[in-house]
Amino acid sequence: MTLLLRFLLRTYPRSFRTRFGPELVGQAEDDVARAFERGPVAGAWCALATCIDLVWSGLAERWRPVWRREGNVTSDDEMGVGTMMGQWIGDLRQAGRSLRKSPGFAFAAVATLALALGANAALFGVVDAVLLRPLPYEDSDRLVHIAASAPGSDLPDEFGVPLEFFLHYRDQATQLEDLATFNSFTATLRAGDRVERLRQSMPSRSLFSTLGVEPILGRLPVEGEDGTVALLSHELWTTWFGADPAVIGRSHYFVNGPKEIIGVMGPDFRFPVDGVAAWIPDEHAAADVPAPGRFGDFNLVGRLTDGADHASLTRELDALADRLPELWGGPPSYTRIIERHRPVVRSLRDRLLGDVTGPLWILMASVTVVLLIACANVAGLFTVRAETRGRDLAVRRAIGAGRGDLIRSQLAEAAVVAGLAGAGALALARLGLPAFRSVAPDGLPRVADVGLSPTTVLFVLGASAFAALACGLGPAVRSSAPDLDRLKDGARGSTRRRWWGRDGLVVAQTALALVLLVGSGLLLRSFQQLHSVDPGYDTEEILTFQFAPDEEHLVDGPTWARFHLDFMDRLRAMPGVEQVGIVENVPLDEGVASTRIVTERSGPDEGDAAPRIGYTFAGGDYFRAMGIEVLQGRGFVDDDAVLPGNVVVSRGAADLLWPDEDPVGRRIRTTELEEWHTVVGVVDDVHQYDFRREAEPTVYFPLIGPTPRSWALTSPGYVVRGPGAESLAPAIREAVREVAPSAPMYRVYTMRGLVDRSMIDLSFTMLILAVAAGLALTLGVIGLYGVLSYVVTQRTREIGVRMALGAEAGRVRRMVVGQGARVVALGIVLGLAVALLAVRALSSMLYGITQWDPWTFAGTALAMAAIGLTASYVPARRASRVDPIESMRGG
Amino acid sequence: MLSLARRAQAGTERAMTPTSDGGLSPLDYHVLLAIAEGPMHGYAVRDAVERESEGALSPRAGSLYRVIARLTSTGFVAETGEPDEHGPHPGRTRRYYALTEEGRKVLADEARRLEGAAALALERLGAGS
Repeated sequence: MTLLLRFLLRTYPRSFRTRFGPELVGQAEDDVARAFERGPVAGAWCALATCIDLVWSGLAERWRPVWRREGNVTSDDEMGVGTMMGQWIGDLRQAGRSLRKSPGFAFAAVATLALALGANAALFGVVDAVLLRPLPYEDSDRLVHIAASAPGSDLPDEFGVPLEFFLHYRDQATQLEDLATFNSFTATLRAGDRVERLRQSMPSRSLFSTLGVEPILGRLPVEGEDGTVALLSHELWTTWFGADPAVIGRSHYFVNGPKEIIGVMGPDFRFPVDGVAAWIPDEHAAADVPAPGRFGDFNLVGRLTDGADHASLTRELDALADRLPELWGGPPSYTRIIERHRPVVRSLRDRLLGDVTGPLWILMASVTVVLLIACANVAGLFTVRAETRGRDLAVRRAIGAGRGDLIRSQLAEAAVVAGLAGAGALALARLGLPAFRSVAPDGLPRVADVGLSPTTVLFVLGASAFAALACGLGPAVRSSAPDLDRLKDGARGSTRRRWWGRDGLVVAQTALALVLLVGSGLLLRSFQQLHSVDPGYDTEEILTFQFAPDEEHLVDGPTWARFHLDFMDRLRAMPGVEQVGIVENVPLDEGVASTRIVTERSGPDEGDAAPRIGYTFAGGDYFRAMGIEVLQGRGFVDDDAVLPGNVVVSRGAADLLWPDEDPVGRRIRTTELEEWHTVVGVVDDVHQYDFRREAEPTVYFPLIGPTPRSWALTSPGYVVRGPGAESLAPAIREAVREVAPSAPMYRVYTMRGLVDRSMIDLSFTMLILAVAAGLALTLGVIGLYGVLSYVVTQRTREIGVRMALGAEAGRVRRMVVGQGARVVALGIVLGLAVALLAVRALSSMLYGITQWDPWTFAGTALAMAAIGLTASYVPARRASRVDPIESMRGG
Repeated sequence: MLSLARRAQAGTERAMTPTSDGGLSPLDYHVLLAIAEGPMHGYAVRDAVERESEGALSPRAGSLYRVIARLTSTGFVAETGEPDEHGPHPGRTRRYYALTEEGRKVLADEARRLEGAAALALERLGAGS
């Protein structure tokens, strides 16, 4: 206790401590001891209160001193806050004048720090908007996302729940205050003569109460309005309807028919993803469940009751789900899945932001490393500056300046540099953040909120203060005890300790730069590996688009198929078009549905055990247009589209259904339908989702789909192949307008564009990490060059003597390069060691290589060594050209 | 009566600006009051203040010594030699504080001011009841 009290006593000015300190501490000890005699709680309370009182009184004494003895000599430790502020302001002014006299130094230091702080400010702006701000919902930490898992089944690791789960949870779960379903999809929106395919959502009516949101205009839906009313997003309201309040009450076409607009949501409401244009509340009842077990249909968001947590809710939902087969019946396969079923409860925040959290923090860490390197660089500059001013400092010290005065005056320079750099960083971030919004990956949530927020400005202030201390404190403290021998005429040179200080900075810079280089090298190698994947289709000279004709004469599958066949003929007739095909789900743009497929050999009860295989519908020259190789039999012909009964299977599907047998001529059907389809061809497997996942086995049904009503639910994608296919979009848009004036053409992409989009997460992270690594490397090289140049300048006289005594130029060069090489080698060893640990954070982003890929580690280390030696060579060459006579004369 | 009221008002204003213009805060007053009994070390001052304010004031060490420092700086209190009898910790060096003439005068002024203010309060309460 005595030690603590003595330590806290330091909050008082020294003269007060000297006069009253021993008495004060003695009395405080007695107080605490007496309190402990009354009991431990009283003692602890008294100790705490005494400490707080001590600190408070000490600070008050510094702020407004009451103790003045005669003949008081003020020192740093004795000054009131007002006096200290005055001195600091004077020092800052002096620092500004001094920096103006050294514009080269000032520019180098400010620019280096501004660049690094700017990168940090921009990325913090992103991290703040995307990750740090709470979700814009009341008590958002009580919102949970509920999904399902069934370990050991052939369902995905995590999937949406069937409708009966929602109904049962909603009615029975005691730990949920509210529960809602949500989804999002693209659908046609038509208002007046404006028609577009926009993202819309059909949540349950309870979504709004669950999230605790209200419209800014109009009202929320009430019972009986489900499926007949719509709420607009703020963006749609302003861009389509000119923010006209009279839009409330009007009817327009949303999703599948006219809906009355009843409200407009606020600009912050972007649920579940950015870009949703309208919400059409829907309600669900038991009558909507034709058969239980449609897994994957519903995303659930719930609000926990007070006191409930994720674990307790999981236990409750698990128990509730066990009763579902008893309540809803269902086939044995349903019961088996329920037996394996485990609810997946996590915070809504994790669900919405989980995928981007890791990469964003990695990028934030990488720019922090850049800031550290920049600080090390500028600290090196300040060290050199302090050493060149060593004589001045020694004079100041000799005529009575305190050590504190010298430290403060140098710290003031660092503060001015960091302050200017901070202002520059804010300007850079202000320019950079809008640019970031435009290049950010599509799926990055809350990207619209990214901007220069007050939090970001505070962050830059804090980072600038850190930079000022990091750059200035070390050199200031070291040089505040100047060697008074320097006052002797002709004394010069640095001590070995200072050399070590500078070399240490370069070692740290080299190591940190190498860590970033290894990271970006690993991502680059993954990117190359991904690009070398054969996706099973061509990616050049292919344009894809969708349109959903809603013409009155399209009343059944054959008329609908004939319409598309005719339109494909029309496209084929266009100049530059070689092949045209159609598919329900364009690879890399959309996923495919899956179903259980049985063959003629499957027994009557084997449906539940039949393999689950992805399926889609295709027509026209789809396989040729996409460059998907037909391995056996044939692709589809036009008759297949209107006279269903034939299917094409992929190699993986054939291997699953008929291992080691010829599949052509064999028949399959889905477990839900009676109709058999005959296999007419086998094609190569394709990568449907992205290049990271294995190519999926797929069954291709003919254009009108496996069921008589499939055609009505589809919005197929066209695939047009030809040289310069991307330039065909305007002509195709015109053709679409002619055959279906009310149908928008949407999802217009080139396959190359889809490939790039599928890799954008990786390429975006790689790009930013590469920029950070480039900055780090540049700063590192500048640091090494600067230190060696300085050393050469300092040793000019010594080198001159050596050369006068017969040392060869080559030997002098080797001496300087050798010094650089030692520092770089140490940095590389340290950097490799840190990188071996740090790359674990990247492992989930890598493809085709391990996180400890030896080629990347070796390659980047060699590159670092080569760059380091080159940076050493320039000063070395200068050293070898020293004129011995000049150097000694100039000494 | 009017002059009493004026004095009370003036005293209140002084008391509200206790340190910067030399006025007395309640703690200042009680410290002076305690020392008026005779030279005292800090520990005894604290006990006397607590006792004489009937527990309303119980300054912790940091605050108490800042008040003692202020009263010493303004010349109301001065360090004095150790009296014959020892305190509870004979081995520990203690400084003793005594009232100066100026301190005695300030304390007397403040006591009269409080007396006037108390009389005024009683008079009003008596008139009101």
